[in-house]
Amino acid sequence: MSLDEREQRVDVDPRRVWESEYARDLPEGDVIRNRSGFEIKPLYSEQDWTGSRDAADGYPGQYPFTRGIYPTMYRGKRWSQRQLVGLGTPADYNGRVLQMIDSGANAISLLPCNSVFRGLDCDQAPLPLLGTCGTVINTVDHMDRALDGVSLDRISTAMNDPTPFTLLAFLLGTAKRRGIPASAITGTSNQSDYISHYVANHMFYRLSQTGARRIFTDHVAYCREILPKWNPVSIVGQHMQQAGATPAETMAFTLSSAIQYARDCEAAGLDLDDVLPRFTFFFDISISFFEEIAKFRAGRRIWARIARDQLGAKDPRSWRFKFHGQTSGVDLTVQQPLNNIARVTTQAVAGIFSGLQSMHTDAYDEAITCPTEETARIAVATQNILREEAHLTDVIDPLAGSYYVESLTDEMEAEILRIMALIEDAGGMYEAVGAGLVQHMIGKSALAAQDLIESGAEKIVGVNCYETDESEAAAPEPYRADPEAMQQHVDSFRKFKAERSSDAVRRALDALNRAADSTSDNIFVEVVNSAEQGVTHGEIVEALRDRLGFGHPLIVA
Amino acid sequence: MEPNLAAQAASRVKLLAKGNRADLARVLTILSYGDDRTDALAGQLALSAAPGRVISITGPPGAGKSTLVSAMLTALRKRGLPVAVLAIDPSSPLTGGGILGDRIRMERHTDDLGVFVRSLGARNHGDGIADNLPAMIDAMAIAGWPLVLVETVGVGQSETGVFKLADISILVSVPGLGDDVQTMKAGVLELADIHVVNKSDLPGADIVARQLKGMLRLRGASGAQPPVLTTDATTGQGVDELLDAIEGIGFGERTGGRRARIEAQIESRVHRAVKNELADALRQCSKSISQAADGAIHIQTVAQAVTIRIAEGLKSSKYAGDLDVESNPLDT
Amino acid sequence: MSMPLRVLVTKVGFDGHDRGSRLVSAYLRDAGHEVIYTAPWQEIEAVVRLAVDEDVDIIGISTLATDHLIVPDLMEALAAAGKGDVAVVVGGIVPEQERPALITAGVRAIFGPGSSRDEIIHTIERIGDDVRDARDRVLVGEA
Repeated sequence: MSLDEREQRVDVDPRRVWESEYARDLPEGDVIRNRSGFEIKPLYSEQDWTGSRDAADGYPGQYPFTRGIYPTMYRGKRWSQRQLVGLGTPADYNGRVLQMIDSGANAISLLPCNSVFRGLDCDQAPLPLLGTCGTVINTVDHMDRALDGVSLDRISTAMNDPTPFTLLAFLLGTAKRRGIPASAITGTSNQSDYISHYVANHMFYRLSQTGARRIFTDHVAYCREILPKWNPVSIVGQHMQQAGATPAETMAFTLSSAIQYARDCEAAGLDLDDVLPRFTFFFDISISFFEEIAKFRAGRRIWARIARDQLGAKDPRSWRFKFHGQTSGVDLTVQQPLNNIARVTTQAVAGIFSGLQSMHTDAYDEAITCPTEETARIAVATQNILREEAHLTDVIDPLAGSYYVESLTDEMEAEILRIMALIEDAGGMYEAVGAGLVQHMIGKSALAAQDLIESGAEKIVGVNCYETDESEAAAPEPYRADPEAMQQHVDSFRKFKAERSSDAVRRALDALNRAADSTSDNIFVEVVNSAEQGVTHGEIVEALRDRLGFGHPLIVA
Repeated sequence: MEPNLAAQAASRVKLLAKGNRADLARVLTILSYGDDRTDALAGQLALSAAPGRVISITGPPGAGKSTLVSAMLTALRKRGLPVAVLAIDPSSPLTGGGILGDRIRMERHTDDLGVFVRSLGARNHGDGIADNLPAMIDAMAIAGWPLVLVETVGVGQSETGVFKLADISILVSVPGLGDDVQTMKAGVLELADIHVVNKSDLPGADIVARQLKGMLRLRGASGAQPPVLTTDATTGQGVDELLDAIEGIGFGERTGGRRARIEAQIESRVHRAVKNELADALRQCSKSISQAADGAIHIQTVAQAVTIRIAEGLKSSKYAGDLDVESNPLDT
Repeated sequence: MSMPLRVLVTKVGFDGHDRGSRLVSAYLRDAGHEVIYTAPWQEIEAVVRLAVDEDVDIIGISTLATDHLIVPDLMEALAAAGKGDVAVVVGGIVPEQERPALITAGVRAIFGPGSSRDEIIHTIERIGDDVRDARDRVLVGEA
């Protein structure tokens, strides 16, 4: 071989040329890792993904749904713009939600006050804490007022409603008053994933793990029979990612929970093909752009395989991984708050490219306070701009075939499966959480993530780089419920309790207690009945807590 | 001893008897310092005749000890007894810090004035017992807490120290933590007065209980074998039986715990006194050390010189009145 | 050798997010201090009881969802129980407008988002030294 020939040979392999040029120009390139810990290469090409994956990915609407769960995706139906709203009194909520619907939201999500999560009525809580982060709803009257002017048969209503699902019961009471059949009501029990409340985000615990487990399946069975358009199960990866789980861990824990719930439903005598089509998922969308997209694409096909092959569901609708995405509040900063609009936009783009079914975009002041009308409007507008102006929805799964995205999807899938195997070895999600395993893993990841920020390896604009002197800047005004209006709300609640039929309340509570004491009666039927008879949220929770035990948090320090 | 320290210690001990929780809490803090104030206070407490009763609960991490202690508190409180708890968690070997999480499982007792819980880091003690545990128990007894549950993380035979200090020691096992029962070294199993297999709802609990009984028979001397009970601390199942077993053994005729506590306390104070003098003695003998390095004198000789210095130091130190140095054979 | 500080890390009110409190607890442990860690949702009276029985030097309240609004109540309850010597620090989301009320009530430091590990540890250690010094000067007498 002559020297010329040899030189030619080297020159004709462009990849090798690039490699040597890259190494020459960047001899000591830093190792870059994403949040799940994968090393990210500077370039992806056919060596990383062969491109012959139509069979593995499937076409949109086809198993295993990597490219989306519906054939038409956003060309057929835009995602639900479901803004999470919760503040003040029911009247405050009503004002805000009607405004959201006016500005384009086609679905709503009701966030109750933290006192409700805690299982208390408003007359049991310190006044300054009422309504600061959610709406104070304790009765059917309150729900009726909160949803005044909202067509329950047209607008999908998600309830952030942990066991024993009193908000849904109040919603059903409202519908009954208005003559709307239960079969017409659409929406989701957004906080039915009690396991996630034990893992992270200890806001919701109010019933023991065993008690919550029982009411979970009772509520699924009830919805299956009475509320055919309601999604009783929403499995919430959001709590875990916000608590510090990596995207890969989050997806693994969430899918492991889904398996747990499917098994529990089956054990309760439910047919999986009756309930799995109503399973939905709820995730954080972080700003780690490509990683999030890979997380959702991988999660979609893992779920399809689990549902079909592992759980044995026959109906293709059971295999579809329907998810709601919420742009992650963890990424938002208190510093330079307007920057958060850029963050939310980036997160929302990732969500849209991931093929989500429903989305909430955070308002830019959410790191500081409950959003104001103006900031909430901008959050909805962000979604509208991305859809209407940027044309992000013209093409289904537009990043498919990208060497990077496809390779990352594969890598994500392998890591998720590895973590799921750990959970399975621990006896499934219920046991793994009971033993503190999941909490321990999340704590470790949270610390590692914080260390990266502390060391400056991970940059946050305005926090550890590009800081500005903000001492002169006007801080956003925090939302606080009007104390007078709230006091009136509490007073009228007290009046309601004094004037209602105590006989009806006692009878309803007796029936609720009997159902809880039995092993076969459906407890949720009695929750619905109690709500209708004027029993309050706090009273229902208290009765069940007495019978089924209090949910002590499973904290790993 | 500096009179100021001694007077303060005496005042604190006197205050204790009034039963104010904050005073007890502060005394326990001072006892954890391991300095002169600690010695002064421990010395005062040793003079008191406060025969506290101590039940130790020891077992591997994850055995559910805190939950069991919480369930025992519930049961003991039903019987009307005030109960104190010393919950000892391991400290980080690197930094000495620690996250003491026992409160999480004992939350339901926070508003019960008949319960006093104190979390302690094991700090630098290798055997997992916080410094001056015996003095802490005395302090609690004086302050109106005659029954103390001591919860320690036990990881095998190095944990036997607490058994000596307790009137009744409970060893907690749990199914599913590997074959720790079989590998438990001789000496640990026999020291426990009661064996508890917790998490009885888990598969394998019966097997662990059977194994334990078998091993105790095999290893035990003649005489009664310690009882092996099963509990599910989360539901409280089996806890009443555990209390019955404790009552069955009783505190009355046993004097081992109190005596051992006094001895351990003295041992610990002697240890600290000698250690303090050792540093001085080594400094004073630096010349001899240098000579030994030259090979001029034997190491034994240096050691003897250091020992004599220690003895002299002790005689003139604040410990002089505290320890009976005169009778020390080294002094002759 | 300085003794480890004893810090009660807890949450009052209704919020349960514990990422921040777990992180700060790990920081304190790694700096050689002892953390008494509790479940969230503590009642004010429970925090006071814990502070008394555990004889802590510092109480760290982690707050995310407006629970800082009841911290002044905690300060009052501590003083009423004779535990005014315990320093209280707050970490989490406290809007600028609501900081003065906490400082006036006696809160010694507020750590907002973006506070660094060093800043948190150094501040707590400085405050802890003050608390210890003041305590060590207190003599008990024959009353």
